[in-house]
Amino acid sequence: MDGVMDGIISGLQVAFSLQGILFVLIGVFIGTFIGMLPGLGPISAIAIMIPITYGMDPALALVLMAGVYYGAVFGGSTSSILLNAPGISGTVATSFDGYPMAQQGKAGKALAIAAISSFAGGTISVVLLMVFAPVLSSVAISFGPPAYFALMLLGLTAIASLSEGSTLKALISAVIGFMVVTIGIDPQTGTARFTFGSANLLDGIDFLVIALGLFALAEVGFLIMNRKEKIMKNAKEIGSLKLTKQDAREMSGPIGRHSILGFIIGILPGAGATIASFISYITEKRISKKPEEFGKGSVKGLSAPEVSNNAATSGAFVPLLSLGIPGSGTTAVMLGALLVLGIQPGPLLMTDHPEVFWGVIVSMYIGNIFLLILNLPLIPYIARVLTIPRPMLISMVIMFSVIGVYSISFNTFDLYLLLAFGVIGFLMRMFAFPAPPFILAFILGGMMEQSFRQSMTISNGSFMIFFENKIALALIMLSLLSFAYPIYQNYRKKRSSANTEG
Amino acid sequence: MRKFLTLSLFVMMALFMAACGNDESSGGDSSSDGDASGEWEPGQSIEIVAPAGAGGGWDTTARMAAQVFQEEGIISEDIGVVNKPGGGGAVGWAYIANQEGSNHNLFVSSSPILLVPLSGNSEYGHEDFTPIANVIADYGAFAVSKDAPWESLNELFEDMKEDPSSITVVGTSSPGSMDHIQFVRFAKAAGIDITKIKYVSAPDADGITQLLNGSADVFSTGVGEVIEQARAGNIRVLAVTSEERLDGEVLSTFPTAKEQGIDEVFINWRGFFGPPGMDQAAVDYYEAKFKELSDSEAFAEVRANYGWDEMYMGSEEYKQFLDDEKENLKSLLEELNLLGK
Repeated sequence: MDGVMDGIISGLQVAFSLQGILFVLIGVFIGTFIGMLPGLGPISAIAIMIPITYGMDPALALVLMAGVYYGAVFGGSTSSILLNAPGISGTVATSFDGYPMAQQGKAGKALAIAAISSFAGGTISVVLLMVFAPVLSSVAISFGPPAYFALMLLGLTAIASLSEGSTLKALISAVIGFMVVTIGIDPQTGTARFTFGSANLLDGIDFLVIALGLFALAEVGFLIMNRKEKIMKNAKEIGSLKLTKQDAREMSGPIGRHSILGFIIGILPGAGATIASFISYITEKRISKKPEEFGKGSVKGLSAPEVSNNAATSGAFVPLLSLGIPGSGTTAVMLGALLVLGIQPGPLLMTDHPEVFWGVIVSMYIGNIFLLILNLPLIPYIARVLTIPRPMLISMVIMFSVIGVYSISFNTFDLYLLLAFGVIGFLMRMFAFPAPPFILAFILGGMMEQSFRQSMTISNGSFMIFFENKIALALIMLSLLSFAYPIYQNYRKKRSSANTEG
Repeated sequence: MRKFLTLSLFVMMALFMAACGNDESSGGDSSSDGDASGEWEPGQSIEIVAPAGAGGGWDTTARMAAQVFQEEGIISEDIGVVNKPGGGGAVGWAYIANQEGSNHNLFVSSSPILLVPLSGNSEYGHEDFTPIANVIADYGAFAVSKDAPWESLNELFEDMKEDPSSITVVGTSSPGSMDHIQFVRFAKAAGIDITKIKYVSAPDADGITQLLNGSADVFSTGVGEVIEQARAGNIRVLAVTSEERLDGEVLSTFPTAKEQGIDEVFINWRGFFGPPGMDQAAVDYYEAKFKELSDSEAFAEVRANYGWDEMYMGSEEYKQFLDDEKENLKSLLEELNLLGK
């Protein structure tokens, strides 16, 4: 344990050096800014930074890049809340309750809740990271294909609960999401599926194209249609920043639960902040006593995904730092940057370069505090985006969505796709098909299909593989419960009402 | 009326994007500054396309080459690196194919430019472009968990001959691409029925995870991916695909397949190409510049940083190498029934 103590001390020295503090500040500032702009994500920002970090102390370079990463997740909630245009893919779930809250004239409060939840999720998960980092590497590799499949299945059992109104429409929406995710080259066979011979579709469709189309552009269409209606009045108000005691009490539950849940999902390679935020949102709705408030500006519904995506970001550093496995696109780019600096991330990083390992972790405390200080006082100013005259605001949302999507691939084809999903989203809204099940199926479906087929190949086609694996078995039982419970509840409700009538 | 307005907005956006799209495709140039017989020099900035996203192998190679070209003053014109990701390279290749005759557009590529068209997922292959020079090489490796029963590649292959269904091979890319093909090549050389190999593709760097948690038995990947895990003692590298043992503290402990009696090599070469119909004078110019790059101290340092090997081939030699390699891969894919229609 001495080694760990020494390591933490060397980490403190890195993080609290003048340069350390300066680079954290620069990192989180750039991150917040990039996160706020819809579409622009941390991956491109960090890739652009690689040449800048060349020749820097590796520990400081990673401190800087990590700052951009969690800063972007922190800042990404802003545009989700104000404009319904997710800043990064990890903050799509934030818009489910954040945007309605802002529309009710409580934008200030929504942003404050998001900031505090992000801070809490970030900080608690860093504590977890620090205390358990040396032993967490075993968690990171504990999930094989059957367990991933079961985790995705658990997420999917919530499709019906993600929507108000018609369950049938929610399921139709989810099926379309499943179909869209199969577009592109199938990794297990190398065959192109549903690409119609177009090279542009071989890699499938980027999640942000769909999210910005279905949410931001569809919302734009809706705003134009209803531009003269009175319900829009409230939406210009920012409201007070102050949180009531009631709000604080409502937030405390999600903060405790989802900083742990988000962190654990973040540790799993391939899962990441997006899946974590969705699973947290669903879980929170499932256990809530007032699920009907979700989707209409619920404090818990906003807090849960925000806590979770920030916690998942810290979690994503576990496989990177303790095993050298990049669990996400962003951490993969960071790994590349470390290689340039002559550091080989791997299982021995903690012993070979304790100052890098612990320096980043300690700097994340400072980074999260900076983010809170940076964001809270700015909220009244940022929220004034809403006071921009509607026609201009609408054009801005369109412009940023287009820039954001273009910056993902530098391919105009994606812009047509964005437009197509904008039209689809608009039509779905007109005919009351909920978009969240589509998005959920798209996020979970790809991984679910792949892990199912990986499992089948490994087991030579035997389904027993899902029951032999303990984690998979537990998760499958949980999914069955989660599926059956609402039906049972419904049945009881019907019976009791039948009784009272009779 | 309102619906009409909304609709017209979407239509206007479509028009706007169409306009952007046209601009892009007409942005290429076909000017050449010297006559075909004499010396050629670039007359404007040069664009190097990485047909992949930022941060990957192609992108890194392109950016590092551009950086060394400029910093060492090998080429004085500006060099810009542009990412054209999509379709495992196919989107970028289609873009370059549109720049026919340009002397100021280059791109970086490796085995996928042979494999992707073979599997039927790209209209364009290496024969559509102008090979300029190969610059670097790295190699593949086959690793197993430290608890695995196999101590050598031959032991693994013996078990595979007996019961191919009991062993799962995992790689990052899909069947018919590099990770899969390199394993198949060695298995074939060892006399295994390659149609029976059980291969799982685990994208997102998940292959090493599956090896460590026991879901898969063998990890077929680039040698750079296994060094640290091997150093920590978590995995055992049964073989690397190079001709001779590689240099490096850990690297030199990895046996080659060749020294285990399996006569096969797999090189993950990486080089630069021009668009179709590039002037011979321009090809000569770039060929010489890439030679200078390859021989420079600065690029040697870059190679050392990333663990790449030096592997220079000029235009003619490169073209011949690519033609041979493609024939070779084609027969493999044919046997695996993975050839595209």
